[in-house]
Order: sequence, then C-alpha cells, then structure tokens
Amino acid sequence: MDRFPKHRVLPYGLIFPSISIIAIFLIYPFGQAIYQSFHRINPVRRQLVNVGWRNYVDMFQSSEYLNSFRNSFIFGVIVIGLGLAISLGIALLTTQRIRGAAIYQIAFIWTYAMSPIIAGVMWSLMFDPSIGLMTHVVGNLTGYWINFFNDTVAAFILVSVASIWVMLGYNITFFVAGLQNVPHELREAASIDGANTWQVFWIITFPMLSPTVVFLLFVNTIYAFFQSFGLIDVITMGGPSRATEFLIYKIYRDGFGRMQEGQAAAQSVVLFIIIAIVGAIQIYTSTRSAVYER
Amino acid sequence: MHTYRKLMTKIGIHAILIVTLIAVIFPVYYAITMATHTHRDAYAFPPKLIPGKQFFQNVKEAWRRIAMTTLLKNSLIIAITVAFGKIVFSIAAAFAFTHFNFRGNWILFPLTMVTQMMPLPVRVIPLYRMMAQLNWLNSYKALTVPYLASTTGIILFRQFYMTVPVELADAARVDGATPLQYLWKILLPLSWINVAALLVIEFIYMWNEYLWPNIAITSSKMRIAQMGLRMLYTSERGVAEWNIIMAGTLIIMLPPLIVLILFRKQFSEGIAMQTTK
Amino acid sequence: MKKVLNRTFLLVLVLTLSFASLVNAEVVEVEFWHGFSGARLEVLEKIVADFNALNPKQQIRTMLYGTYEEGLARFLAAHPVKQEPALIGLYEGAMGAIHDSGMIIPAYQIPEKVGVEWDFGQYVRPIVTYYSRDGNLWSWPMASSTAMIYYNADHLREAGLDPDSPPTSWDELHEYGLALIEAGVVKHALAFGWPDWMFENQLALHNLEYCNEGNGREGHPTEVSWPNEFTDKLLTKWGDMAADGVWTYGGVEYDANGAFQSGELTFLMQSTSSLDGILRTVGDDFEVRTTFLPRLSEEYTRGNTLIGGSSLYVSNQATQEELEVIFEFYKYLARPEVDIYWHQNTGYFPSTNAALQRLMDGGWFTESRNHLTAFLQILSGKTDSHAAAGMKLGMFVQAREWNRDAIEKVSRGEDQRKALQYSADQVNKLLAEYNEFIQN
Repeated sequence: MDRFPKHRVLPYGLIFPSISIIAIFLIYPFGQAIYQSFHRINPVRRQLVNVGWRNYVDMFQSSEYLNSFRNSFIFGVIVIGLGLAISLGIALLTTQRIRGAAIYQIAFIWTYAMSPIIAGVMWSLMFDPSIGLMTHVVGNLTGYWINFFNDTVAAFILVSVASIWVMLGYNITFFVAGLQNVPHELREAASIDGANTWQVFWIITFPMLSPTVVFLLFVNTIYAFFQSFGLIDVITMGGPSRATEFLIYKIYRDGFGRMQEGQAAAQSVVLFIIIAIVGAIQIYTSTRSAVYER
Repeated sequence: MHTYRKLMTKIGIHAILIVTLIAVIFPVYYAITMATHTHRDAYAFPPKLIPGKQFFQNVKEAWRRIAMTTLLKNSLIIAITVAFGKIVFSIAAAFAFTHFNFRGNWILFPLTMVTQMMPLPVRVIPLYRMMAQLNWLNSYKALTVPYLASTTGIILFRQFYMTVPVELADAARVDGATPLQYLWKILLPLSWINVAALLVIEFIYMWNEYLWPNIAITSSKMRIAQMGLRMLYTSERGVAEWNIIMAGTLIIMLPPLIVLILFRKQFSEGIAMQTTK
Repeated sequence: MKKVLNRTFLLVLVLTLSFASLVNAEVVEVEFWHGFSGARLEVLEKIVADFNALNPKQQIRTMLYGTYEEGLARFLAAHPVKQEPALIGLYEGAMGAIHDSGMIIPAYQIPEKVGVEWDFGQYVRPIVTYYSRDGNLWSWPMASSTAMIYYNADHLREAGLDPDSPPTSWDELHEYGLALIEAGVVKHALAFGWPDWMFENQLALHNLEYCNEGNGREGHPTEVSWPNEFTDKLLTKWGDMAADGVWTYGGVEYDANGAFQSGELTFLMQSTSSLDGILRTVGDDFEVRTTFLPRLSEEYTRGNTLIGGSSLYVSNQATQEELEVIFEFYKYLARPEVDIYWHQNTGYFPSTNAALQRLMDGGWFTESRNHLTAFLQILSGKTDSHAAAGMKLGMFVQAREWNRDAIEKVSRGEDQRKALQYSADQVNKLLAEYNEFIQN
C-alpha cells in the first residue's frame, strides 16, 4: 500500500480537492436535507418550524407518496429488467460469428449520446396524440387511440420505452465488452459436450458476465431513479394524475413547485437510503466476485 | 443439413438485428425528416416520412430562437471543464489512496463511496440555498464545481492502479523519482485508455445534465443546451412547430455524438479493460 | 523624459478608466424575471430593447425563469438571501402566496415612493379588480388574458352547421360536437388548454365562488366550495362529452393548441394569449373564429371570466434607484403605442383605457374581430362580486394540480363526484396547513 512512505503531506494534498468538494457540495447539503426533513418551511415567509417526525409519518401515510413509490419501483423493474434483457440479447447476437458484427456494435452504441431531454422530445413526437406517427399506426391497427395526456398506462409505457431506448447504447457497449472476455473456445467446448445454446449461456457465459451485470444493474438503477428526471419533465411532467410522478420528480415538484421543502427533504433522505441499500449490495457482490477472481 | 441450419441461424440473427436496429434508429430518422419540412408539412397527416427541403431554414430558425451560439458555448465550457477536472481530481485522489498510507485513509475512501449514493437530485434544494448564499447562481462555478469530485472516477482509477505491479513504484523510488514524477511519467501513460474512456463518459454526462442547471440558472447568458432545448420544446409545442423543435434537437445532440464516434475505440476498449477487473 | 511620458500616459489611463467606471456606475440595471416563452418572448424583448434604448442609464435586463410555478418558487427561495430580482412577472396562481409573503411592495405604493402621483383609473377595470386587494392595486397589470373558445369555422360549414351561431352553452357544444363527429369531420370536437383554469372559469362565469372567505378576497380561505350542485352538473356534462368522444383531454397549458391548428379539433378553449400564435400558424388553412365560453344554464347569474396571465411585482428589497427605473418602465408600458403593440402581437389585453380607445377608433376590432371577443366577454361580465373577480389562495399551485387531477379522472370516465371530493379533501388539508403557518 505505502509505496512512497516518506511523503507525509503529499497524499493529503492529492485528495484535498476531491474530498473538499465532496464535503462542501455533497455531504453538507445532504446534512441540511436531513435537518430540513424534520422541519416544515413556511412556504411564504420562510421560517423553519420543527415538526419532529411528522414529515416522515405523513409521507408514509400519503397515498400519493406510496403511489409514487410503487410506480417508481415498477418503472425501475421495467427499465432495468427489460432494458438489460434487450441489451444483453442484442449484445449476444452481435458477438456471434457473423459478418458485420463490428458494424452492428457501432450501430447500436450511439443512443448513449442522447440526453433524457432529447429522448423525451423525440418520443413525445412519435406518440403525440394528434400528429404522432405511432399514435396513428397503433390507432389504425388496433382501433385504440393513444392519448398519453390522460391515459395513465400509455404515459407510463411511453416513459418506460423512451428510458430503455436511451440506455440501450450504454448497456450494449458494456455487455459486448464483457462478452468479448468470455473465450469462444470455452463456449464451443461446452456445445461439443452436448450443451445446447441456452445451457451454454447460463452455465458458461452468464457467470462470467456477472461483474458486468452487477455494474450495469447499479448504473441503471441510478438512471431509472435519477436521470429519468429530464425525460419525465419533457414528456409528462409527472402526469397524468401523477402516474409518472416518480420519487425524484416528486421531490422536485414538492420542493420547488409546491413549496413543501421539508416534505421534499424527508423524501430525499428516504431515497438516499434506498439507493444506499442498492449500492451496498453492489459493493458487497462486486467485492465478493473480485475475491473469487483472484 | 447442418450447414443449412447454420446458414438459417445466421440469416435469422441478421434479420433480428436489422429489425431492432431499425426500431432503435427510427425515432431519430423521424426527427430528421421532421426537421426538413415546412411547418405545415411537419404536422400534416398522414405524416410525411420523405425528407423535405427546409432543413437549413429550420436550423437557422431554431438557432435564432434559442440563441444557440450561447447555449453551445456554455455547454461546451462546462462539459469540457468538468470532464477534465474530474479526471485530474480523481487521478490525484486514486493515486493517494493506492500509493500512500496516510491517516484517515481508512475512512476517506468509504466516504467517497457513500457519496456516490447521494446523487445531485437528492440534495438539490439545500444546494440551491447554498449557491444563493455564495452568490454563485447564474455562474459557471455553480455548474462545474459541485460536479468536480467523481467517485466513479476515483473508483475506476483506484482499481486500475491497484493492478499495477508494486515493483514499478519501487523501481521508480530507487531511481530517485518523486511520487508525482512517477505518476506523470509511468502511471499516466499506462492509463491513457481509461482516461479517454472516462473523458467520453463525463463529457456526455455533463452535456446531458439538466436538473441542476435548470435550477441554478435563470440568466439567458448562462443557459445551457439542454435547457434551451426544453424551452424550445415547451414554447413551440403550443404551435406544434415540430420542424423547428427537431432542428434544434439535432443540433444539440450532435456534440456528444461526435465525441462518442471520435473516441469510440478508446471508449469501448477502456470499458473492456474496466469489466475485466 | 520617457519615464515622465509613461507616467502621464498611465495617469491618463487611470483617469479615463475611473471616469468610465463612474459613468458606468450611474447606469441602473434592473433584473426582470419573467415566464414569457415562444412568440411572446420576442415581443417582450422588443419592448424592453426599445425601453433600454430610450434611456441608456436606466436598463431593464430580462431573464426567463422557466415555468410560472418555478418562477414563484425561485423568487421565494432567493429573497431571504437577497438574490431575487427587483422586478418579477408572475401568473395569477402566485397571487395569494406572493401577497402573503411580505416580500413585495404593493403596486399602489410605488408612485408614492418615487414621489409621483399616478392615476390607476386609467387601467381597464376588470384587470385592476383582479389584481387588487382591499381596493388597492397590488401588482402592475401587464400580460392579462382570459379564456375563450377558438373554433374552426370551416368544420362547422362542412358539418352543415352555421359558423355565425357558435354554441353558447355546454348542451349546444355537446350537440355540435356530436354533429361534427357524425358528419365525419373530426374524431373529437373539443379540447381545453389549462383544464384546471377552465374549471375555475366556469365557476366564475356562473358567479360562484371557488372557496370561502369571500373567494379568498376577504381572508385566508379554509375550504373550497366544490364539489357542489353546480360542479355535479358541469362535470357530469364533461364526463358525458368524454364518453361520446366529443371532448378529448388535451393535456396541460398549451398542449392542445397543436391539435386545433392541425385541424383535428373544431373547438379549443384556451387563453386569449394564444390568439396571435394560432392565427399565424393556421394562416389560410382554415378560418379561425372565437366566441365566449359556454354557460351551463341560465338559472345561474352571469359572473365573469377570469383574468389570467402575468402581472408585475416589485421586491421590497429593491433600491430607490431601481424603483425609479421600474416606475419608468411601468410608465413606458402604459404608453398607448406600447400597449397596443403588445396587444396586437400577443393577444393579451391592452391594460389601459387609452390604448383601448385608440384601438376602437382605429377600427382594429372590426378589422380583427377575434381580438374583440375576449374584451366583450369580460366587459359584459360582472365586476362587483368576489366570485366574478376570481379567487385568491396561498396554495393555489397545488389546488390547481388537485383540481386537474379530478378533471383527468372525469375524462377517463371515473365518477366525477368521487374524484372531485377526493381532490377537495386534499386541498382543504393544504389550506389548513397553510393557514396554520400564516397565523404563526
């Protein structure tokens, strides 16, 4: 560990920039959020009133919050589960021994550069209730005319699809990179031994891919819970009837639009705990797999 | 028979890939055609999927409406500053964590890990107050400084530096190299690929950042690209000028796309190195 | 010698620089936050640029704050740390909260503070009434609008209906819609912009209060008045129209405009501030006409439609110099030619009687009858009841959201009474909480 034992001050100098920024702009405001979560702020005159645990109690009794919680969870499962499954499928296909595999890999990577805002704009055009192409295609085929302005399910699906779309490029790139580390010989050896494609995948490929999967799970969780903000802000603004008002969007709305900073702070703390648990699992599993490898 | 089946499988794979690719590319294609139409054609029904001739007029109009020059300039400044700043800061920190035994090491590293779990949105409201007190709202400082510490970067470089053989450092020390000389001359050249990959990731991340800038910035001189696009979208949506909206969208998605395409190889290789560890 | 020259040069330089900074110091710049986007923004920028050119030492610097809601939240958060702008334009939904905040100087006190007399009688009456508290004007009128119906006259002709007699009641609107769908002209006939505001407008139009305490004009309201017999009838009607496909939910704010402009809807209920945008977009594609908001039944007295849009507030932390600039700007906005320019290019009401007079004399309203509709509508309504003047409450943003929630439920065919009652309960809870804060 200590490769330069004589330098006592230097390491502090090296970590100082990062640590001070973390302390000032991450930990301190978060501490304030915790403090605020036990207060309510007079929306117009700004004084703080200590309310004890009331924000937390109210939060878990509020059907809006529980709805938001449930919807965020479903959204997370769809975006992470379906998104990763699709990306893995595409990555598997593009790493087969086929002509133009590299071209496919490049052709799929670019969605990573799309911002949530851009995805939101593009997808809300596709499904615009009056002129959207997909609205007309679906309407003419099924007789069901999608109006995501008031159709909660349609809005929810639209936001989910757009979110999966944005993350495809990133996920595929990581899966492809992970798959390229799985030796072809190993897979072929297994199939010669009589394992079918499905078995080869579960017995050989998937375990070797698990560090990538764990990493992507975490990144996609962060994405689904936080980065989707811009997308929702463009497409639905949390509506209709709060169907797409996920936790992060609710924090923003409560804190900024609805002037309930205390309540928003309490939600921030809870959201942090959720993400911390997910992160802890990730760190735990990734360090464990790292141990296995060494 | 066997080869026939193999061929069919291959054709099947191509077919699936091409269909998904079309599905994935379609929204962008649709956006591009919209951006080439006149306003009337853009909301015509059935939608016109053959490109029109208005592309440059639309781009010009979108450019003018949201003062694109300012937006692109601001976004470039913050994305480049943050990308480079993050790399410098995280290399320095990762180097300290891996090459020195200093007091507080045991607590500081886990601390940086924990902070990865308090992404910006969670502390946006207190941060707004803080920035207001510092008089930092509507400044580049507000848009860059809070982003400069990158736990992802620290973890990434830390993992890489831990795999570098100890002998290298020992040899350098024996040769009388200072730690910084060792970092600069030996360690860094070994990690260019990681640096490039991280640059791409951070540039794209920062270019696409929206929530915090949207809160910290009100001045039109400080506005960034994503905010501009959001504004163009909301303000033109009322009149359904999808042609202008899409022209603006295409311009704003271009810079990160260019970065990704230019550094595609480094990005993929850097990621490949990352996932092996 | 050279040294001396150098020094002289330096001295001159220092003097010029300090003089330049002295000149600069005399320029008072006032930050003005607003929420105007799209076509409106360009009109505003033009007016501000003209004002700035007029007097280089008094400058207004415009900044867009995003949506109206964000504007209010930002102002309230920035004021305690003295980062707020001296001048801000906020929408009707911010009125209750901003009045209660104690962070602003009421508009009627501003002339006095800069030592001038100012006649508020020169402003159009219903607008002044809306922004007044106890008979005094609290915010400066600037971009006032109201809601009206826009309709596609060509569609009516196609369906064999008379475009000269547009529907005046919800029943007629329903019938017209059915006829239009029957004739195959449109799939849906009607959508609203700002659905929550349309609900509020219906109450005001039937001279019914939205909440107690004199519609919030006499004190802090503790309860909303809905659901009631009237809202039962109204929302049942809306539910029926949704079930028949006549009414389609068109999203919030200006989302529905697109569908109207592309000819997919015959009727659009929207703010008058969309008028110029719509006329410009539609061009010669079809004939756009406008008419009054529909009434439910004549058993209710006629109230008035509501004023919306934005009005200007001044921070109580503004300096004397800034106040003077702001007052100059106010005076500038009141000039008939400026007022007229604003009206003719946005669809917002002109605020002054002088501008109105000039527009009438110049034949503007006969030339552009669509610009007259909203005017006739508010001038023919009541101005002497709290119900018609419009409600005022601190938790307006949220009340609206809850209200919209109920409307969305109705559009999906859910039970209107249940939906509205649920929303009302939520709003009442918020009102109680707000009052608890205000009293402390």
